[in-house]
Amino acid sequence: MTQAGPSADLCLKCNICTAACPVAAVTDRFPGPKAVGPQLQRFRSPRHIAPEGSVEWCSGCGTCSSVCPHGVAVAEINIQAKARLRALDPPSLRDQMIARPELLGRLARPMAPIANLLTHSKPSRWLLERTLHISRHAALPRFARRTLRQRNPSRIASSPPRVADRKRPLLAYFHGCSANYYEPELGETAIAVLDALGFEVVLPPQRCCGLPLQSNGLFEPARAYAQSNIRSLRPFAEADLPIVGTSTSCTLALKHDYRAILGLEGDEVDLVAESTFDIFEFLSFRHPSFHNEMDFAPVSARALYHAPCQLRSHGIGAPALEALRRIPALHVVESSAACCGIAGTYGVKQEKYDVARAVGAPLFAQAAAEAVDFIITDSETCRWWISEHTRLPAFHPIEILARSMGLA
Amino acid sequence: MTHLIVIGAGLTGLFAAAHAAERGATVTLVALGRGGLALSHGCIDVLAVEPPLEAMSRLDKSHPYVKAGQKALRSAVEQFLGWMEQEGLPYQGHLEQNLRLPTALGASHSTCLAPAAQAQGDLEGKEPVTLAGLAGFRDFSTSLAASGLERIGVRVANSVELPLPHQASVRDRYSIDLARRFEDKAWREEVARSWKTRLTGARRIGIPACLGLTSHPEVWRDMHERLGALIFEIPTLPPSVPGLRLENALRNRALKAGVRLIEGSRALGQVDGRSGGRRAGGVVIHAAGGPRALQADAVLLATGGFLHGGLVARQDGRAQESVFDLPVRVSGDRTALTAGSPIEAQPYATLGLLVDSRMRPVGARGKAVFENVFAAGGLLAGSDRSSEGSRQGIDLASAWRAVESSLT
Repeated sequence: MTQAGPSADLCLKCNICTAACPVAAVTDRFPGPKAVGPQLQRFRSPRHIAPEGSVEWCSGCGTCSSVCPHGVAVAEINIQAKARLRALDPPSLRDQMIARPELLGRLARPMAPIANLLTHSKPSRWLLERTLHISRHAALPRFARRTLRQRNPSRIASSPPRVADRKRPLLAYFHGCSANYYEPELGETAIAVLDALGFEVVLPPQRCCGLPLQSNGLFEPARAYAQSNIRSLRPFAEADLPIVGTSTSCTLALKHDYRAILGLEGDEVDLVAESTFDIFEFLSFRHPSFHNEMDFAPVSARALYHAPCQLRSHGIGAPALEALRRIPALHVVESSAACCGIAGTYGVKQEKYDVARAVGAPLFAQAAAEAVDFIITDSETCRWWISEHTRLPAFHPIEILARSMGLA
Repeated sequence: MTHLIVIGAGLTGLFAAAHAAERGATVTLVALGRGGLALSHGCIDVLAVEPPLEAMSRLDKSHPYVKAGQKALRSAVEQFLGWMEQEGLPYQGHLEQNLRLPTALGASHSTCLAPAAQAQGDLEGKEPVTLAGLAGFRDFSTSLAASGLERIGVRVANSVELPLPHQASVRDRYSIDLARRFEDKAWREEVARSWKTRLTGARRIGIPACLGLTSHPEVWRDMHERLGALIFEIPTLPPSVPGLRLENALRNRALKAGVRLIEGSRALGQVDGRSGGRRAGGVVIHAAGGPRALQADAVLLATGGFLHGGLVARQDGRAQESVFDLPVRVSGDRTALTAGSPIEAQPYATLGLLVDSRMRPVGARGKAVFENVFAAGGLLAGSDRSSEGSRQGIDLASAWRAVESSLT
């Protein structure tokens, strides 16, 4: 794997990334991915931190890296640069908090009703904004009373089940924080679909993927999560179990960010990366016949499908879109936006909220113009954010597939 | 239904993918990044000789135009014009005679088809030209353009610098920033008001190409009406606004036709073991997680030349094609491959893939290497596209011919 920093030497300064950057398109405060990335990189060295703060405006959506025709890891360079700035300007309490969805989930779940009241009532949101600078307009998720793991104890597997026990092909589900603490129903829907397609789904030990920490520049705690996940997932990968996820950002972390951004190395890191799949990627590349095996019932609706920026960084296209297009009576309009704006935790921050909303504006306008009934998108933060701004329900594509398969 | 994989998302790849999908093929477009359109003037150069079609009959039989045939060129151009009309980005011009358009350096650019807003700058036009620079926009100098044009005998009636509303920005203004501002009606109103008095008596005004990005024709018409004078565009440095408009139009066309787009992954050719090496089974894409196999009936290489990565020059003096390692014949001494001056015709520019009449790359004995691998655009041998002014014409004609061959 090419190291992010040295890849700056491949840059021809063509500015294709600047033209595609959704943040540079809406604010003059961000000089653009090329300027703060490959261009500024020549002033950075292991010993010197370039004290240039405009890289903070980068949302980390990764569009620059996926449009670069010369293989420059633009976004990776910028995320690393942002993290190094934390040595000069330590992270705020807010960033420390919103970067830890697992910790929040563990603390808040036992008192979910109270926690939900705090995160969803106007006075407390006003207070959160005044004290912590968490935008009072940004959608926050609701804590579930019982986690996915608590609801499905029989599926928890501390190690891969032995070969002799296997009746059906085994698969490890990486649910991430959101499907565990916030949306356990989504996790169960994904399990039900995989079950109906003949797979035996187990829940391997797992921690937060660490991506929110990483994008807030907190590399050390992010690495600790990453190493813990590699340790616990390695035996499953070695036993040839695909590791399948429904959160495009968690799966991107396992596949790519641990290696390309956090700098983890080793055969076990590669093995886990190569065993990890987005759920629709898994279906379309590893089980392409599933379309033919199932009877899909009509889902009469108009929907807008948005491929999250973090799915685009997987480099696999939008496999969910192909599956959705096969559902009878479902009219799917494809979003033409590069990013919805939230980019994980970016839009939650008070100072970034307006930029994030401006990034998403074309998408919200498209949803209104197309008069769709709902939004479909693979990432949880995108769903919460787009739903808030369009006042439309937003689903994970697996929920729509499940509906068409008669499972939801 | 044929499944065609097109590799490369420049003019050739986008045009080929959209054309094949509209002809009923299942198309997957794989691209490492965005193609070269963001670096282009947005025009279609066919051959910078008058009259172009007649000159074509004198070309060597190894020339891509001779391989593709004039019918392919005519069909491709006709289709291109039709598409652009339908996509709301009308082009002007025809194959019988070139337009002569002013460049930002004050030279004359012979091109066959140009976006309507550029075509109005034709140097054969009767109305005298006023050149207008924009305050704070450093990519266009009226004095440079005017002195160059005067040197080649074009009468420039006047040169002016037009003001723009002040904008605090951390970066230089790019043409794309201005193009996005011009999308805003209130901004146009303010701009036109301040420009009007400075343009009294001007009949035909050339300005840097920045009149809108997604709603360009509407922006152009609106400015024309507000100023009461004809206004034409001159393309400037990348990211090029006319090139991006063309890229957007072709992408939209391709996506609407059902093309499945996989962006950000490098493709490597895969040979079908059962065919005795005679057929390509598809490609393996190197996605974030690892290799993923895509099966196909045919593969179309639209990966471009040396600059764009379709051809790779090696230190030992050899060259090869980058996806299937197809042979590129390099004869003679390496030092003879470059001309003395960078603006002269370059012998290396004619290197590339030799193809048969169906646009299939051939080996030393003139036989197709694979039955189902086709090539089009910048990686074809036999022409120095820059010096003969034939870049985009070759892209379209060869893409057309390659798609037609791959579907039969």
